[in-house]
This record gives sequence, C-alpha cells and structure tokens, in this order.
Amino acid sequence: MTRQEILDSLKDVLTLIRPSLDLSTVNEDSNLTSDIGLDSLTTLLLSLAIENKFNFKFEGMVKFNTVGEVIDHIIDKMK
Amino acid sequence: MERYFENMLSAEELAQVHYIPTIPEFVTWIEQKWHDLPALSDTVNRCTYAEMCDAIARKRALLNNLGLAKGDKVAIIDNTTVEAVEMFLAVTSAGYVAINLPAQLPAPAIVGCCMKFGVKVLAAGPMFIDAVKEAPCKVIAIGDMAEKGAPVAVVSKDEPAAIFFTGGTTGAPKGAVLPHRAIMRGALNGVYAPGKQLGCHRYATVLPLSHVFGLICGTMSALYKGAEWVAAANVKDTISKFPMIKPTYLVAVPGICEILMGLIKMYGVGFLGGNLKYIIAGAACVPPKLIAEFDKMGIQLFEGYGMTEGGNLTSGNIDVKERPTSVGQIYPGQEVKVVDGELWFRGDNLFLGYYGEPEKTAEALTPDGWLKTGDLVRFDEDGYMYIVGRIKNLIILSNGENVSPESIEEPFYKCNKLRDCLVKEDELDGNKVIAIEILPRMEEFANTPWEEVEAYFKKIVDEVNATLPTTHRIVKVTVRKEDFKRTGTMKVSRN
Repeated sequence: MTRQEILDSLKDVLTLIRPSLDLSTVNEDSNLTSDIGLDSLTTLLLSLAIENKFNFKFEGMVKFNTVGEVIDHIIDKMK
Repeated sequence: MERYFENMLSAEELAQVHYIPTIPEFVTWIEQKWHDLPALSDTVNRCTYAEMCDAIARKRALLNNLGLAKGDKVAIIDNTTVEAVEMFLAVTSAGYVAINLPAQLPAPAIVGCCMKFGVKVLAAGPMFIDAVKEAPCKVIAIGDMAEKGAPVAVVSKDEPAAIFFTGGTTGAPKGAVLPHRAIMRGALNGVYAPGKQLGCHRYATVLPLSHVFGLICGTMSALYKGAEWVAAANVKDTISKFPMIKPTYLVAVPGICEILMGLIKMYGVGFLGGNLKYIIAGAACVPPKLIAEFDKMGIQLFEGYGMTEGGNLTSGNIDVKERPTSVGQIYPGQEVKVVDGELWFRGDNLFLGYYGEPEKTAEALTPDGWLKTGDLVRFDEDGYMYIVGRIKNLIILSNGENVSPESIEEPFYKCNKLRDCLVKEDELDGNKVIAIEILPRMEEFANTPWEEVEAYFKKIVDEVNATLPTTHRIVKVTVRKEDFKRTGTMKVSRN
C-alpha cells in the first residue's frame, strides 16, 4: 500500500471515531490530539481499529503524535 | 429501599457470602471456598484459587524475609497482571501497606512517590524494573517468591491496607489511606448484582489496579464471587482478545464502554465474545443513550457512584431502564445525609485520611467522622440518588480520572504572550474531553494575522500536551478574541 492509500484507510476509521471531523483537513502533519481531537480512550479505539484493519498488533499501548507517525509504523509493520 | 442489594442474590447465594473485614481473613476464606476454581489468567496461563493463594503465601514469605515491620509501605508498579494481583494480596495479607502506582507514571515520579510515602520495598514488573533501579528503597521483581509460604498476619479492620492516589476534594493528587474494612466492604458490595453470581463469572479486566474501581470492584469483588479474573498485557490487548476471553462480566468506566460500542458498530456484537451479560460502569457519568444501546444487545449496563475516600462503592443502580439518570441506592454499611445539598457519608467504607496531609484530611472529614463528598445530590421518594452538581473544581473524565484544571493551566502561564487561560470539560462527538480557552496578550501580536495567533497557541498546547500523561491531554483549543467573564477579584470565572 502507498502512504496515500494508508492515509485514506485511516480516514475511513477516523470518520467512524470522530463523525464531525472534516476529513479534508486531515494530512500527515495532523496532530492526533489537538487537530483530530483524540483523547487517550479514542486513541485506544483507533489503535484497535487499525490492528483489525491492517491485521497486526501494536506492541504495548500506542503513543503517536501525528498521523504521519502512525503511517510510518503501519508501513514498518507491513514490511 | 430495604435490602435492595442483598435481595439481588438468591437466598442460597446470600447465605454463602458475608462481610469479611480484613484482607488476611479474606485470602484464607477464598482459598478454602473456591479452592479448585480458576482464579487468575493472563489469557495464556491460568491458576486456580489454591495455586494463587500458594503464590500469595510464598510472596508473603519473601516480604517477611526482607525484614519489614507491620505497616511498612510496599509499592507495586506493573501493568494489570496476575503477578500484581498476587503481590497486592501478599502485601496486604502480611500486614504491610500496598501502594499500587499508576503504570503510566514516568520513572522520576515513581522515585518521588517512593520518597514521599517512605516506601521500604518496590515490587516492579519486568517492563519497569530497569527504570526504577534508582528508587530509594529495596527493589524486587514482582514475580519473585520464597520457596515456602508464610501464614497470613493478624490485623485489625481499622489498620491501613493500601494507599490510592486521588484528586480528592480539592484538586492536587493525594494519597488516600484505606483500611482493611473499607476495601473489604467495597469488595462485598461489588458482589451484589442480579442473577447467579457465585462461582460462575469470567471478568475481563480493563481497569488499572491503581484505581479503586479496578482493584476493589474489578478484582476483589471478582475473587469474593469465585470468578475468573482475566487480563492480557494491557487494556488494548485485553479488549482485542474479548472474542477469545468471552467475558461474562465487565467492570469499566464509561469511556471504555464507548470504545466497546464503537467496536460493536465496526465489527458486530460478536467482538465482545458472545457471553457478556453485565457491565458495571462508574467513576464518571454514564450517558443514558449508552445504557439503552447495550440493552438492545441483551447486555445490562449498571451505573454506580463512589469515590476513593469511600472504598469505591457508595451507590449503585440496577434499575437503569426506569431511572437512567440516577446513580441508584446507597450500598450497605454506610450512613448518609445531605448537608446544604452536599452528600456526606460514613461507615465501614470510609478512608482513614490523606497520607501526611492532616489539614486536607480535616477539610474532607468532620470531627465526628463524616466525609464531605463535594458532590451535590438529591434523593427521590424511593431513595434513588441523583448527582446534581459538584462543589469541587474537578473535571471527571470518561475514563474515571479526576483532573484539576488548575494543574493543567499552570504551565501555560509560563508563556508571556498569554494573558489568561481556562481549562474545562467539553464535549466532542458525544465524548467528554479536556478543552482550553486562551486569551492572548494582544499587544504581543500587533499586526499579526489571526491564523498565526491561533497557530502560535496551538503549538504551545502541543508542547504542553507532550509533557502531560495521555489521559490529561488537551483535545480542544479555542483562542479567544474577547475577554473572559471575570469574578469580583478579576479572576477568570469558571462558571
């Protein structure tokens, strides 16, 4: 998958978690907390949804700051 | 309503459980009562009650061999693990005082806690032990135990058993000292629920042992019932293994319930394993909509109310369909009264005070032993309680954590381009979140486009967020053009 395809998949998940989010504003630099509005619990939901969608397990709890960092990790896991 | 909680159990089950006032007596009782039933599981390995109590006895012997005296503090730092449960029960059944440290604490804070509480021994899980080697006390591995077990200690019900961190009634984190009677009263009260309860349930454990709700209702009550307690390496892995764990019973905060509902909407109700019957939710307000959504799936979500200082459970509501906004009836073992609208209570479940803070203890406890909760309540004609407001200035997050807004505002005042700020509770897509409103010193931004002013403060928020625990992070940022409403002394008004 390309970075753009992963970003699009993430947007599909994000829209379920944050229905009022304007997806057109989401890019790799978006901060998960202050731009997308995820707190520790919705970050947990995001990580569970990513694990299911991309079929891998995060090791431990997820601590990412930006969407780009999440994409980096997914690419790393899919290698 | 008389015997509201006791009457939930059948006469046969009610005859089997009674109030056991100390943890040493409890450990002895569960070993005899539930001997061969499965007790604890990490989803790979499982032990029976007999095996668990043998490990507890051997951990007690290890602690005794370290030369500890009765009442000495033993801190525990680990994820929600089988070993952490066994160590907690070993410490408290040996007559020492347990401090379950939150797993997200950074290493310097762990060392600081050990100093503040005069901790003699720190039992650390494998993921933590290297980081806490500098702690000013003896550090042991949480899985360590002696060859042979030691008997339980003799303690009185009023002796301290554990210290829990709490935002308390006035904001800054404090150590609430709970005696044996309080933990055990809360544990027994957590047994009461409709339907068969004894020797038949499987708890998936999603709350930390450092929180009274996770430790008392989520763990001690499970062991009282002879249930199987199951937890994977962390809450994410535990939830992702629900289809395999097949929990029948869950103790959770509303935020976790929201996550489960989100997963059900994405993947179907089968994601929960198919056997879940009851969810006990508390530590924050439960949205009635959530109760109704779970009800449609045949899962009963009951709401409770309590606080660390009251051994976790003060009231509980199983009649959520009829009274969805009530926190229910008062649990046994307490007296309650309403003073100027504020709930006061006392009883077996009451704490002893805040560790090393007599002034704060005196603010919370009256001389004749009533706890002033800071919560404004009313009761209906049938005795159901409703929370109508809070005296204290705390944000209760949907994960159950209490956050003092002042503690989050403090670092922002280091920014000399900020005039004032206000941290408060807000809502985003139906979830409670922490929000901040910032009033700039506009003279610092002369001729600066507004977007740049907003971007400047958003960056400051990101920087402060990076220093905060993930649960305390600011999710919503508003930069104000107009001044705040102010009090007579020109402070920012919080109302």
